[in-house]
Amino acid sequence: MKRRYSIASESSVIVYFGTTIDPVISQEVQKAYHALKAKAQEGFYEIIPSYASLMVSYDVMRFDFDEVCEIIEKSIHDAEALTLSESKIITIPVYYGREVGLDLELLAQEKNLSVEEIIALHVKGLYTVYAIGFAPGFAYLGEIDERLATSRLASPRKAVPKGSVAIADRQSAVYPSQSPGGWKVLGRTPTAMFDATYEGLSLLHVGDHVRYEPISKEEFLKLGGQL
Amino acid sequence: MNGFLVENGGMQCSIQDAGRRGLSDIGLTQSGAMDEMAFGYANFLVGNAFNTPAIEIAMGGASFKARSEMCISICGANMQPTCNGHKIALWQTYQLRRGDVIAFGFATQGQFAYIAVAGGFQTPFSYGSYSTSIKEGLGGVEGRKLKVGDFLETLDARCPVDRRKLERKFIPKYPDSITVRLVKGYQEAMFDASSQETFFNSVYTFRGEGDRMGYRLSGERVVPSHTGILSEPICYGAVQVPSHGEPIVLLKERQTIGGYPKIGSVIAVDCFKLAQLKVGGTVKFKEVSLKEAQRATRAFYTFFKEQEA
Repeated sequence: MKRRYSIASESSVIVYFGTTIDPVISQEVQKAYHALKAKAQEGFYEIIPSYASLMVSYDVMRFDFDEVCEIIEKSIHDAEALTLSESKIITIPVYYGREVGLDLELLAQEKNLSVEEIIALHVKGLYTVYAIGFAPGFAYLGEIDERLATSRLASPRKAVPKGSVAIADRQSAVYPSQSPGGWKVLGRTPTAMFDATYEGLSLLHVGDHVRYEPISKEEFLKLGGQL
Repeated sequence: MNGFLVENGGMQCSIQDAGRRGLSDIGLTQSGAMDEMAFGYANFLVGNAFNTPAIEIAMGGASFKARSEMCISICGANMQPTCNGHKIALWQTYQLRRGDVIAFGFATQGQFAYIAVAGGFQTPFSYGSYSTSIKEGLGGVEGRKLKVGDFLETLDARCPVDRRKLERKFIPKYPDSITVRLVKGYQEAMFDASSQETFFNSVYTFRGEGDRMGYRLSGERVVPSHTGILSEPICYGAVQVPSHGEPIVLLKERQTIGGYPKIGSVIAVDCFKLAQLKVGGTVKFKEVSLKEAQRATRAFYTFFKEQEA
């Protein structure tokens, strides 16, 4: 599909690279995102990537719609020759105990699998960060094994504990802070997802790869995890 | 120390500037003043640059004590402010003395009022802005609304001599029924001719379902051809329509990405008007061209840029 430029608002352009969750499309979005970030165009206030689209919010005092589209198109074109630098692989330690894996039993019943099988399926994947949103540092990771694909909870929790590792549809994510949410919780990580001391503030960025590593309760506590 | 002491936090007061930029790609919301017009005038009157942190008062009920001399202005919703029990006017400056108490009732018109102080409140700068994002618990004073006992440091600045009062012609009104201009975009094609006709010809009511994140409007249902889309970035003013068919206008503390179809976006200057709409107020949407929308936005920011020059 050719890129499609659309109005988002009087000061935002959205570029569509496709309409599906697809690693190839996601890579195109990432390339464009990195190229535009590197260009550091003054007056481009926000450059937000998602699964198959990218939005630029711009200073209307400086640009009109066509100019912005041209700058984006040129940046993408210039970046085509570049290969994306090797994605980082980030390992996130997870304690999959019953007291923190709030929906392990529920999911085991729903999927007709044992809790151990659920954990094994979740751990074996290498995931890609497709988008970040919902909350600071909340990364949408895809795709989980289809045997784990699940709906959201019928009634969302008012407070999902910080660090909860959860799944919904064919995606996985870690809740960076306590917040309401309806994803099914499998475990908890002691690692901070969003921290003022991190370079770039967020542990994960679009395009990164992620692996979950099971740890024991003792290790979880030693790493600063809270039950 | 010079400053302003919070004696009563009211419903929801927070420190806001024009908002946070450049961090939505890692999920931080824009935040900032819900009504940049009243916010801008408040800063203008006390001689500040446009993007200077001010106190945003939602609905009312707050009070503050000056612990030193300072120059303030109050703009936006009329919450019947008083100084030591005496009624004071909006849209002008006041030189406060040590011990003066500024108190607010509740808004009869509008939803948000702003207190600006000459030199700006000396609150922490975090993640590129002074704005509080209440949902995320970051920015402003410890990422939360103001509460009794908070002390907001101020500078020892006098009122500027050349701009005591805002000219009457500039003072905005906050009527109970408004028309907001919208630029079509995003998934407009998912809204067929008849649903667009419904959307642009209906009168929607704000029943108070909303906050700094966005306002849901009640009225004729508009049904998009798809109930969900692949999650994508959301801009200021975006009008999304979930399967319940009622439009939600996304405002300053909106989520950064989302998966509901959007018909387009309300232009920034009209989002400021919408933010001030009281519960029970009504809204009509009017389509405008991109050129016209940009002209309106440019006119707004040009005005404040010129005041700074």
